Amino acid sequence: MPDHRSLCDGAVDTAKKKGASYADVRFHRWRRRSVRTREDHVTGIGSSQEMGFGIRVLKNGAWGFAASSILTKDEVDRAAVRAVAMAEANARSVRRPVVLAPVPAYDDVWQTPIVKDPFKVPLKSMVDLLLAVNAEALKVRGAKFCSSSVEAMNEWKYFVSSEGSHIEQEITRIAPSYEVTAVDTAGGDFAQRAHDVSGMPRQAGYELVENARLVEDARRVAEEAVEKLKAPSVTPGKRTLILDPSHLWLTIHESVGHPTELDRALGYEANFAGTSFATPEKLGRLQYGSPLCTIYADRTTPGALATCGYDDDGVRTGQWDLIRKGLFIGYQTTRDQAAWIRETASRGCSYAEDFGSFPFQRMPNVSLMPGDKDLSTDDVIAATDDGIYIQGNASYSIDQQRYNFQFSGRFFWEVKGGKKVRALRDVGYQSNTVEFWNSLDLVGGRRSWALGGSMNDGKGEPSQSNAVSHGCPTSRFRNVNVINTNTRGKKS
Amino acid sequence: MILDKTAARKLTDRVCKLATAKDVVVGLAGGRTANTRFANNEITSCGDVSNVRVSVAVAFGQKRGSTATNQLDDASLRAAVAEAEEMARLSPDDPEHMPPLPPQKIAEVKARDPKMAAGAAFDAAANQKGVEACLGPSLEKKLVAAGFFESADRFQAVANSAGAFAYHAATAASFSTTVRTADGTGSGWAEATSWKLGDVDAPAVARRAVEKSERSVQPRRLDPGRYTVVLEPEAVAGLVGMVRFGLRAREADEGRSYLSKPGGGNRVGEKLFSDKVTILSDPGDARIPGQPFDGEGLALKPTTWIEKGVVKELIYGRYWAQKQGREPTGAPANIIMLGGSATLQDMIKSTDKGILVTRFWYIRSVDPRTLLVTGITRDGTFWIEKGEVTHPVNNFRFNDSPASLFANAEALSAPVRTSSGLAVPAVKAHSFNMASISVAV
Repeated sequence: MPDHRSLCDGAVDTAKKKGASYADVRFHRWRRRSVRTREDHVTGIGSSQEMGFGIRVLKNGAWGFAASSILTKDEVDRAAVRAVAMAEANARSVRRPVVLAPVPAYDDVWQTPIVKDPFKVPLKSMVDLLLAVNAEALKVRGAKFCSSSVEAMNEWKYFVSSEGSHIEQEITRIAPSYEVTAVDTAGGDFAQRAHDVSGMPRQAGYELVENARLVEDARRVAEEAVEKLKAPSVTPGKRTLILDPSHLWLTIHESVGHPTELDRALGYEANFAGTSFATPEKLGRLQYGSPLCTIYADRTTPGALATCGYDDDGVRTGQWDLIRKGLFIGYQTTRDQAAWIRETASRGCSYAEDFGSFPFQRMPNVSLMPGDKDLSTDDVIAATDDGIYIQGNASYSIDQQRYNFQFSGRFFWEVKGGKKVRALRDVGYQSNTVEFWNSLDLVGGRRSWALGGSMNDGKGEPSQSNAVSHGCPTSRFRNVNVINTNTRGKKS
Repeated sequence: MILDKTAARKLTDRVCKLATAKDVVVGLAGGRTANTRFANNEITSCGDVSNVRVSVAVAFGQKRGSTATNQLDDASLRAAVAEAEEMARLSPDDPEHMPPLPPQKIAEVKARDPKMAAGAAFDAAANQKGVEACLGPSLEKKLVAAGFFESADRFQAVANSAGAFAYHAATAASFSTTVRTADGTGSGWAEATSWKLGDVDAPAVARRAVEKSERSVQPRRLDPGRYTVVLEPEAVAGLVGMVRFGLRAREADEGRSYLSKPGGGNRVGEKLFSDKVTILSDPGDARIPGQPFDGEGLALKPTTWIEKGVVKELIYGRYWAQKQGREPTGAPANIIMLGGSATLQDMIKSTDKGILVTRFWYIRSVDPRTLLVTGITRDGTFWIEKGEVTHPVNNFRFNDSPASLFANAEALSAPVRTSSGLAVPAVKAHSFNMASISVAV
């Protein structure tokens, strides 16, 4: 690896000499390793490593950014000069110059605590585990296909700013996944069931895979795929929903995570992902959810995908409330956004996907606080006379201001008299964000709280991916509009 | 960083020679991209990025492994090849592994704009001036513009140990803008995209978005229901894109696709759509040129997937094609939906009551058995009455299948290139299911 510290310092110096009022340089490397299988064989074993640097500068109140995969002093200097030239040009179109909230200079390191480095685990043990999952699942009559995979990702970055920070971070994430398909060939029908861990990647080492009960659960997952295939179709109408953390995390992501991004709320994402109904004049006024609803942002949650020591502005990460007892009170911000809502410090939400990406506001981990009583999922089900319990996430869509959404899950249970009585299929639900969160009437406790998340949350132009987790307990919502998604045999 | 054909060949040769495996496939992908982003009537960020990625896939018999790196020094390339070979040696047999392809006859596709290759669209001062000119109408009318201008000069190459080599270079330019009214009750969007910079008339795009924004102010309430719709090409593109995912032969043959036949097999030969619907791929199409080979170097030929409503062909990878005794098609290089002779204005004129849709947003699969998808209308939704666009209406969430839409198609325009890289027409169709109201603007 090249001497990144001296290259970074040199680039910052070059930018300053060219008149930049601020500059930062990020060396950024991604390593990936994956094993993929289907049924009785491996379909792919691979790895990759990509590295480069990005330099971001401020001049005359405008940003410039240049990046390259060529790691030489000449190239770094060329990029610094180019970034300053871009900032100079863009400054002619800036009407409100960029103002950065202050941040101390840090010289520090941070890394994901892991037990087993997934890049060192013998390939054979990864392959054997996945093929054992497939074999176990396919023992179930009616289960026809099983695909499984493990992907390990290591993100290393070294950040240097003209304000004196030198920060090195190494983040390790891992994503096991499998899905079983049951097929009724004669009837031309099929149903799929993924293990819930498929929507719950984490910051962790290979120990996460070993402890995930992948093989132990394989029969149940396959049996549920077969059961889903034969399950009765849901009756639509206003229903009580019990949402498992394997499902609810994505609803939180879409209906709370994105609306509370300050750049969205102020129109900076209008051309792509859209804006937000949660505009600043509603801060401290909007009853976003019921009093049971406290949702917080946190880039320090152990194991969560967006956790790190410092963001890509060099700001130390922390935790803060977005919604407290139902009241909307906070936003996600970066250094260049804090002043927009008269805050004096950034919340530390800057992130760039890779060396070639401009850092901007990305979602921290956004989680629902567990309830005061330590209720388990079974307790929430037992307290419900008539409802539908949803596990896993499937189809999800929400409008460009985050009002109207429609979600579906991987598996649906009809709940009667406090018990899961039978599987259902074709369940979707439509709601409005504020109406939905105000219908929250029972929140599980720490016992049912779990982290779900996505490696690929998209935002920005050019689009960038962000890895983010959402913790939540099993929770209950009343009078939600459940729809039946089966249109087979229906005429348009 | 752009490598020309000679430099690309030199690099793939270097990598192939480092390998001890008999089967080696080397892929290159790289180039330079630049972008300028704006919002709230000012430039907010920008970028100028160079990269080259080398991928290496090797096999010993049926044991295979793959790696990729973007560092081109000898030590990095040697390490990448060694890692791929080590993984292959440790891997169990993959019965689906196919040996490297013999040299292919690949038609050259003209897709690189000489002006962009010479550096046009990578000049920061010129890009700033271009964006500023597009902000003019919004500033004058006290509207609020956000948008994105992007240019790219890229290349791809594939070579293998059987002597095959393929190279393709392409440029791309796009400009899009969303213009909102200051009170937030109106929003309009427009975009132009091409492989030639000269085709992207950014000021015209800005004018279209301004006009849509002003016309969409204060939408009137319209109840959910089934309506005749006139979908502009951008809206159609989102739905055609979902059909593309349903064309994979293996899923259809395995009984887990819209195109699976009850009792086994697939539905090739069945008429599933209106006879107005023809969908094909052609890498040489001048509107939307595509890379004429896939990641293994397989030559991609013009292919008609759906002809006059009949499913004619499915997507076959090499393994599944061999198993089924067929020629592989490879993945589509592009998607072109042929159109009809109607203009958008003709479609509006012929509509007694209906909805004009500018585009959809957040389209997601709901039921793969029926191709049922959901999504949202956005940035210009209007009521049509007695052949005229009369007023803006609220946005909707729709739940419908492109299969139903195409079965109900009544008129099509000529296809145009859209932002998602598909060339599709505007479509008029009856009975489209607007499932619920979205109050979003």
